Amino acid sequence: MSERETELLDEIKTRFKADGEIKKERRIWVSTDSNKLIEICKYIKEQGFVHLSAISVTDWLEKKEYELTYHLWSYDDKILITIKTRINRKKPVIESVTPIWYENAQIHEREMHELFGVKFEGNKDLSPLFLENWQGPDPFRKDFNWREYVREEFYDKENEREKIYYD
Amino acid sequence: MEKQHPIVKTIILKLKINGELPKIKIYGGKIVVKRSEKAKTMRKLIKAIWIFNWFNSCGFAELVPLVGSRWDMERFGMIIVGTPRHADVLFIAGYQTHKSLERAKRVYEQMAEPKVVIALGSCTMTGGMYWDSYNTIKRLKDYLPVTMYIPGCPPRPEAVFEACEKIFEHVKELE
Amino acid sequence: MIEGIEPAPNESDYDLYFGPAHPGSGNFGVKLKVNGEKIISARADPGYLHRGFEKLMEYRTPLQNAVLSDRLCILEPLNWNLIHAEAADQLMGIEIPERAKYLRVIMAELSRIQSHIIWYGVFSKGTGFDTGFKMAFGYRDYILDLFELITGGRVYPAGYICPGGVRRDFPKDAKEKILKVLDKMNKMIKLEELENPALNARAKGVGILNIKDAIRLGATGPVLRASGMKTDVRKEEPYEIYDRLDFDIPTRKEGDAYARYWIGIDEMKQSIKIIKQALKELPEGDVIEPSLKKPKPSIKIPEGEVYVRNEIARGEAGIYMVSNGNGTPYRVKVRGPDFLHMIPVLEHLLKGVQIADVPAIYWSLNICPADMDR
Repeated sequence: MSERETELLDEIKTRFKADGEIKKERRIWVSTDSNKLIEICKYIKEQGFVHLSAISVTDWLEKKEYELTYHLWSYDDKILITIKTRINRKKPVIESVTPIWYENAQIHEREMHELFGVKFEGNKDLSPLFLENWQGPDPFRKDFNWREYVREEFYDKENEREKIYYD
Repeated sequence: MEKQHPIVKTIILKLKINGELPKIKIYGGKIVVKRSEKAKTMRKLIKAIWIFNWFNSCGFAELVPLVGSRWDMERFGMIIVGTPRHADVLFIAGYQTHKSLERAKRVYEQMAEPKVVIALGSCTMTGGMYWDSYNTIKRLKDYLPVTMYIPGCPPRPEAVFEACEKIFEHVKELE
Repeated sequence: MIEGIEPAPNESDYDLYFGPAHPGSGNFGVKLKVNGEKIISARADPGYLHRGFEKLMEYRTPLQNAVLSDRLCILEPLNWNLIHAEAADQLMGIEIPERAKYLRVIMAELSRIQSHIIWYGVFSKGTGFDTGFKMAFGYRDYILDLFELITGGRVYPAGYICPGGVRRDFPKDAKEKILKVLDKMNKMIKLEELENPALNARAKGVGILNIKDAIRLGATGPVLRASGMKTDVRKEEPYEIYDRLDFDIPTRKEGDAYARYWIGIDEMKQSIKIIKQALKELPEGDVIEPSLKKPKPSIKIPEGEVYVRNEIARGEAGIYMVSNGNGTPYRVKVRGPDFLHMIPVLEHLLKGVQIADVPAIYWSLNICPADMDR
């Protein structure tokens, strides 16, 4: 098993000049630039990684970046590869992976567009998924403090029972 | 005349009868409810409870065993119906988001009088477990007129039965 | 005729909303475009139960999150408890004692049996066999009484499986009671195996999902196994003690609703086998790592990130946790199996079928809307 992992990692490092490491058994973590993402994804799909487990976005507020992670699983080799890239936080735009993983990727990207505001170019349907008529900021950003929002909108400081929410 | 109810350990119910609160005393280890004279002579308006199946959030998982064979609710005359026109009671069982509250309001408007809203769980009273979520509502009484609250997370089926028994006795002729 | 609106070009085209009130699951709606009796296209309408779980977890410490994590899906709370505890354990670098691993597996498998009983009950009600619904919910109460004996809560175990092990040990008479309940489960499975003609007519050959589509659309768990692929996270990537136990993975080839129904029943038998083996081999010892016995509010999580996969009753679940060095996690991403089953798979399966087939397809996918919206 670990031979296949080192073989894959070395191939990715030499061909695409990306960083990476094997943290433990069956887990490979790779970081790359956002303009090389599609090439790496196409190569990995040919190697047998047909199952896209999740796409996630992490908001690094101090560094002013969004970090995207793609988690991919192979049923033949039983290995999980995670690919990480970073994009700008003010204008988050990246190419979509729907030509490679079809509807599975399309629904994950739709969710990330609604919650973080990331634009995926090439995705045909980015309409809102969970929220109806939401006028506020993107919900999962780090600068949107939920507890302050809730205290302003819903709770009442004069009410005896609700004073504890203001501590 | 006082009617004696045995103590059920997990419940303290808050009741309203047309603006008059009954007197509740703890007397010799048993909870005793004293009804006013006026309430006893009025006739019952809801005789069998038909529930609309608005099974929304966490709390519904303790409403469904009521239909099963252990806590059979059909022996009390309660069934679950599929249309609000036939229903008497709307159980709001847990948290509501803005999207689902609009549909609940439309369901409430379509029900025929006399109708009762029962709020289940602690999420309807103060926001509960998700008090700091941006999408759920915190106090149900700001949006719908609530008759009875049942605390718990989620409340046991026995508590739901006790609440339904109170509906039989206390929803009387409206003026 | 309403003034100002023109009639549709084909008069038997109309929109039908398969609405949000269902007798046995949370709120979820599907918008159908129908021509006569045949469905042309379907569009899912999620979001009635969206609470924003992932960001709620950023305000709470891992021990507080253990109590919140069982509200991810009410129909199988202990399985979600387990995957969150594993992610927190791996991030904090904790080794849990042996007895705790066995107890965790026993509780997770009991929760899986209970979830499959609900699946059977609701599927029967959807296809018109009401007796199955009442019988299923009657038998499920035996397991809920066991949960109350061991963890204290019928439905929500209040974070029983927490980072570091489990919260408390089994009481002394728990072992005999579990074995008695498993005998009753065997009796129930014999009743469930009697076929009724309504099911045959409504579920055979309906909603066929072939294996290439299943992998492309992201299906996992029983839905993928019913289409012919023999895969299970407990065998491929064993966690806890699953590599020491002996069990099978039931698969079928047809991929229709009838095959998915039978896989649920076969999986219950395998779970009973696992629990009996685990009870026999249960070792003595601690049940929680000694430094975490009393919850301290000032525990810091070291920096790092981890991705954990588990097999819950509905499919493959995943949690991605990132930490910054503080006491609360920096980002938690929850991947549930129902997110994929309800939107891409359902929209694909509902094309070209009759309206009368919609309940059979919908309930055969074992759907939990709370897991999808989070």
